[in-house]
Amino acid sequence: MAQAGKGRLNYRCPSCFMRDLDMDMFYDKQKDEYYCLRCQFTGNEADVLKGNDMCRIKYRSMLKRITVFS
Amino acid sequence: MGKFILNIIHRPEMVPEYAEKITGQGKKEDISRKDLLTESLDIFKLQQQIAHENGFKTTIQMTYASLFNEEAVELAKEHHEKYGDEISLTLLGLPCKEFREKYKTKDFCIWMFSMEDKKSIVNDVFEKFYSMFGFYPTSTGSYYMDAELINYIKETYPMVKCAVTSCWEEGPKAYRTCNNSWYTFLDGGPWNPWIPSKQNTHAPAASEHEDSGIVAIPHLSRDLLACFDGNGSNFGTHPQNVLRGMIYKNGEYPYLYNLIDQYRSLEKYNSGYAYNMMFVGPGWMNKMGRWEATYELLVKSYKDGMAYYGSLRDKNELEDMTMSEFADWYRENKSYTEPECALWKDILYGSDKQLFWYSDPFLRTCLDMNQGGAIIDLRPYIAKLERPIGIGTKNVHDASYPYLVQSMYRAGYFTHYVGEGTIKSCKISYEGEEVDLCLCRTKASFSQNGKDRVLTLDPVEIEFRDLTIKLVSTFTFTEGAGEIKISRKISGMSNPDAKITLNEYITACYGTTEYPEDMTGITLKLTDGKAVKQIDYNYKCREEKMTEVIEVEATIPQIGTRLRIRPADGQIHGYINEGYAFSPMFTLGLTKELSNEEEMITWLRLEKAD
Repeated sequence: MAQAGKGRLNYRCPSCFMRDLDMDMFYDKQKDEYYCLRCQFTGNEADVLKGNDMCRIKYRSMLKRITVFS
Repeated sequence: MGKFILNIIHRPEMVPEYAEKITGQGKKEDISRKDLLTESLDIFKLQQQIAHENGFKTTIQMTYASLFNEEAVELAKEHHEKYGDEISLTLLGLPCKEFREKYKTKDFCIWMFSMEDKKSIVNDVFEKFYSMFGFYPTSTGSYYMDAELINYIKETYPMVKCAVTSCWEEGPKAYRTCNNSWYTFLDGGPWNPWIPSKQNTHAPAASEHEDSGIVAIPHLSRDLLACFDGNGSNFGTHPQNVLRGMIYKNGEYPYLYNLIDQYRSLEKYNSGYAYNMMFVGPGWMNKMGRWEATYELLVKSYKDGMAYYGSLRDKNELEDMTMSEFADWYRENKSYTEPECALWKDILYGSDKQLFWYSDPFLRTCLDMNQGGAIIDLRPYIAKLERPIGIGTKNVHDASYPYLVQSMYRAGYFTHYVGEGTIKSCKISYEGEEVDLCLCRTKASFSQNGKDRVLTLDPVEIEFRDLTIKLVSTFTFTEGAGEIKISRKISGMSNPDAKITLNEYITACYGTTEYPEDMTGITLKLTDGKAVKQIDYNYKCREEKMTEVIEVEATIPQIGTRLRIRPADGQIHGYINEGYAFSPMFTLGLTKELSNEEEMITWLRLEKAD
């Protein structure tokens, strides 16, 4: 099995991001799979994008334009 | 209409942080790669172009590496002439072939070098700058600049009047986010510009005697709520940081504008003045993209951010200045003791949470209205701690200013199993029941009356089995006093004849990280003016009490600080509690029985303990 490299984009691990960790993932061409060196996350690009959306759940006002402050 | 001032800073960083690591993946390290240098300069040019297209002047912080690049030097000269940009000098961006050959190290953070190296590097970069431009810069900066470094620069190059000196609340949280590999332990400073003291950069100067001679600006304007409990590099006026935080969808990031606007709104609490700083290193706009954000999105976000600032300027709601212009303005318009205040609300998570931040030369603190106005952060600036940092000192990394209370690092109201966490709050008891104000969510309003900044909390309702009371808390910060006046007033009772007991307490410790420190040596005292009771901290879980106390206090020699709490009048009981190994804290408290419409007033005061 050849060494891993970087994918099309430099995706971070969504599982680690959810616990406030920025972990670059590496890409296994043979399996078409991103994987995290720190936790057990593995997945293809669609899995990563789905995970990234889950990361955003905590940002409930992310798309809201706020004009009134305290 | 207030004055909203913007500093835009760019640096031609010939070997951008991150970029070599990312673009060089799979290649042997070579920081003099031509394609890396070319791309770095191209990004700098693009950033400058975007700012100029929006009609802004910038501060160009030349890096040491860029001073060896003729094109970068010529560009700076040209933009100074054409757009009025200030040519400045940063102590970031040291890595280059010349630097590594001379200093034989990969270190790049100026505050971590030995004092001898700091002086040598400062001399090298300032003299190199002079040789290229024929004058010395009047502004400089880094992610952090320690007091010894600033003092040396000021002594050697007295024309320097402004510097980027710290990244707000970038400490253990940033370290952890970066897989424990980003060593910027810089917690505990002010979030908006200040005049650093000669003794400690974080602690503002209280007088001309303490004045370091520069105006400090923070590296970015950061979200005062999100950064307190999250990675500081996700929530600032740095569009790519917002992308790093994944705070966008389909190329839209209204949060960035909300953040800018909330900073603008701070003029309400600071005599009409508000401030923003935008400083994006070239590595954040490299062609390979940054993490999952494409190059196109990185550039779009920078253009959008700048365009938003431009739209504000067009409405006369923003004024751009260079760093040195800002320093002049700050000196003319601010006094040493004038505090910085921020009533800040959640603009990201969809809660109604509200924090109040206060900073002056004597203390920094944060109150959480979601916890009844509890103090969740307290730093004794009055101690003006001299903490040399860098190789050769006892402290190579930790530049944070110590806390007495930090409820995220050292628990707060909620702890697991037993023990206590750091917090300043009040408990109300009635016939065997007890309620802590930490469980009373409320809101606050700000007012200013002469030298007093007053935070008044909306009344909270407390329900006991057969009694309901309403209580109003008020916090008064008197400019130059170094203390906080805390009032708790009963504004209503379901049974007007009832009597309740208030317990105004603070649980504290000291430290700069999430981990406990040795508490041995701390002394706790209480006095009624005649007798004194004292506990020398030894983890024995002891308690002392006294009736009609006039003061309770803790002296923490490790951080040269004395914490005093005194009541406004008599008939107040006091107590001191030592902690134990599983709860390495101490508690100071005052208790008083109150009836309807009665008030309890106490003062929390910080002093330097020699």
